Amino acid sequence: MSAARPTRRGFLRLAGGAGALTLASCGKLQQLAKLLPLAPQPDPLKPFTAPAGQSIDLVTHALNRLTWGVAPGEYQRVSALASAPEESLRLFVEEQLAPEKIEDRYVHAALAPLEAIREPVAELYEYKPAQLNDELTRQAVVRAVHSRRQLYEVMVGFWTDHFNIDSSKTDCRWFKMVDDRSVIRPHALGNFRDLLKASALSPAMLFYLDGRANKKRNASEKPNENYARELLELHTLGVHGGYTQQDVMEAARCLTGWTATGRETRNGLSDVAMGLRALAGNDRGGGIGRVKFEANAHDDGEKTVLGVKIPAGGGASDLDLLLDIVATHPSTAEFIATKLCRHFIADDPPAAAVKTVAGTFQNSHGNIKDTLRELFSTGEFAAARGTRIKRPFHFIVSALRSTGSVTSGGNGVQRSLQVMGHSPFHYPTPEGPAPDGAAWLATLLHRWDFAAHLTGGQLPCSKLNAGLLLDCAGGRDALLRHLFGRQPDSAELAAAAAVNDATALALASPAFQTF
Amino acid sequence: MIHDLNSSPVNTVLSADQDAAPILVNVFLRGGADGLHLVPPLEDDAYHRARPGIAVKKANALRLDDLFGLHPDLAPLRPIYQSGELAIIHQCGTADESRSHFEAEDYLQHGGPQGGGWIGRFLHQTRTPSDGPLTAVSIGSTVSDCLRGAAAVAFRSLDEFTLPDKDPALRGQLAALYGKAGGALGLAGAQTLQALDRIEAVRKASHAPKNGAAYASDDFSSGLKLIAGLVRAGVGLRAATIELGGWDSHFTQLALTGTLMPKLATGLAAFHRDLGSDLRRVHVVVTSEFGRRVAENVSLGTDHGRAGIAFIMGGGARGGKVLADWPRSGLIASALDGPGDLPVRFPIHHAVSSVLKRIRSEVDMTKVYPGLPPGELAV
Repeated sequence: MSAARPTRRGFLRLAGGAGALTLASCGKLQQLAKLLPLAPQPDPLKPFTAPAGQSIDLVTHALNRLTWGVAPGEYQRVSALASAPEESLRLFVEEQLAPEKIEDRYVHAALAPLEAIREPVAELYEYKPAQLNDELTRQAVVRAVHSRRQLYEVMVGFWTDHFNIDSSKTDCRWFKMVDDRSVIRPHALGNFRDLLKASALSPAMLFYLDGRANKKRNASEKPNENYARELLELHTLGVHGGYTQQDVMEAARCLTGWTATGRETRNGLSDVAMGLRALAGNDRGGGIGRVKFEANAHDDGEKTVLGVKIPAGGGASDLDLLLDIVATHPSTAEFIATKLCRHFIADDPPAAAVKTVAGTFQNSHGNIKDTLRELFSTGEFAAARGTRIKRPFHFIVSALRSTGSVTSGGNGVQRSLQVMGHSPFHYPTPEGPAPDGAAWLATLLHRWDFAAHLTGGQLPCSKLNAGLLLDCAGGRDALLRHLFGRQPDSAELAAAAAVNDATALALASPAFQTF
Repeated sequence: MIHDLNSSPVNTVLSADQDAAPILVNVFLRGGADGLHLVPPLEDDAYHRARPGIAVKKANALRLDDLFGLHPDLAPLRPIYQSGELAIIHQCGTADESRSHFEAEDYLQHGGPQGGGWIGRFLHQTRTPSDGPLTAVSIGSTVSDCLRGAAAVAFRSLDEFTLPDKDPALRGQLAALYGKAGGALGLAGAQTLQALDRIEAVRKASHAPKNGAAYASDDFSSGLKLIAGLVRAGVGLRAATIELGGWDSHFTQLALTGTLMPKLATGLAAFHRDLGSDLRRVHVVVTSEFGRRVAENVSLGTDHGRAGIAFIMGGGARGGKVLADWPRSGLIASALDGPGDLPVRFPIHHAVSSVLKRIRSEVDMTKVYPGLPPGELAV
């Protein structure tokens, strides 16, 4: 096979300009980190109290739904926030809605060896897509498992699915990295309208839904409707939100001219030439990743979207006018509320809760924190305990989290995600992966296999101290209460007593598949 | 709490009557297999002139029709061709003109300049309630990109596809708990346990090919043997992928392909014999990311080119012929693309479409290959 393509980084290395960078592969740095006394370690497991109710109580329910899994000690901590569980829930919600106030040193340290997740966009083309994918996945897994900003990470997952981008499509291989850090993460608990605009101008989205090719330079050119349709159908109003084909075409006209520069700018330039230009300091990747408005590719006539006129001559400002129309449409409030209620309450979300949540979304002008606060205060939220089935990513992350495992998000977890068809950032079609866990139950054998490998210490890049976990829980029955969020029934007790590895059995059991 | 779950429809069944279902087997010849060497145009003088050191001589080739022959190392495929079960498509390729392994393979596996995989999209569009843990399988260590979008597994042998046996009681206890669970989880648990039984049966049976088929011991043949075992066991398999790599013959092509062609031919021939009448519902597609330059290079090899070759075996293929639209002038310079490459006349996705339409006549090919012009070939 052909040799690896030279890159500017490789060129610099050859030129002797950056010898130290040869150390910068994450694998080597992580090996190095193990040898250093400063290598970050998560808090050690300490004895903890598990729930003791016959059924799932409110605090466990809150932890099930607002986090990626109940870490050892969290039930005890959140229960102690107040004497009444309702007040504990309220305080926990408030704590989690202010992630910037939550100390998260371990995650920062654990992710420090990854380099591509911090690279400027123009530099990303110097990485092989496999490394970008590896780092992005590691980050998603490490944060979901180890971050204390759990609701924030849950919402990052929610919006990642909502604004789905398949990072295996053309230049999305490089730009999804930028979408994650500049679109999803900054706005996950922010304002929906801001999130929507960031997504509309995300280079990854411009490539994924072909917005970059949406041009009207002459009378014969027809706009590319791909993004405009998904904007209405999937990102805002929803498929039954009351828009027409005409609205899609008009929205596409508003968006003509917005484009992003991809790697085709390299064409004709050799790697050596790119390296020389970069060394001379006058070009950082040929403008790659730059999003720009090309006025001569914009249809500047008058448009009407959802009955609202957008006057001729607006140019680049058409974008904001369009996003205002769709973001404030009542169907959008209902659509987003429905999806949030499905996520946090039930696969078939109760209509009353949807109405309440949609009202707050609308009245707060898309304030995501206010909307979530409202959702968590509904009676429907409190009532819907243990009724949802985990999707594969959730299962894997919650198994790691609830057993106090330490993971780098590397090989073992990534392979398990892949065989279960749930690798992050890889769902091919724009609607995103199915939200209901029942759609993912063909993965059960792989879940059992994962559980046995994890508890048996055979999962690469993840470590579980089974003996310490059992001791800290206070024995087998207490560990079952911790993992199930309730007292185990007689069949579960009997099953746990009959196997060598009760932790594997518990993770593989029906009760741990639900939340 | 488990009992509160609605028994919603579940897409995780391993039903016992999968025996008639059609199965797609996608063979990828990684590295850029040289169609002009595998199926040489014996009567094209320009071919012989362009390859004075490595052209397949008329006297050595196995004659297929009045233009083409089969390389003698592919002899085991000839009876399959003669019985009409093997079709050959020459001048076959994709729209990717990069001549880069990475770009061209990417285009091929994703089915165009997009995310997802073409088999993944096909399986998604034609999914059934009986899709289960062994619906889509890659033989190897990673799931092939063409399966993206489907829940797919990768393994080299069935020994990797099981519960760890260090805890023999685990399985029985899971059976007990899922038996009590009811709802979607209970159903899925029962079906998964059934799947484990079937896989174990395959594991035993896969060592016994049928009809006197004798597989070689290389990875490619072993993988095909495993696929045949899965086909026969009725485990719900709908698509399998396997690779035979190493076709990047820049240097001393004869030595390099001299070991690969026998692997390819003996593997496919053993698979053909093993499956016997089951091959009517097993559709084998063999492709590569590109073909190779017409003229040999200074090191008796060939460089990256454009059109290559595809094979379709079984599944009712309209075989016994080489589909080609050969330039009347032969492979003279003016008939070639760019640096001297065989132009693409038949898109690979048209060849594949013919197969997928046989598997499921109502499939919407514009959803399997979005953005690519639809079409089919008479193969």
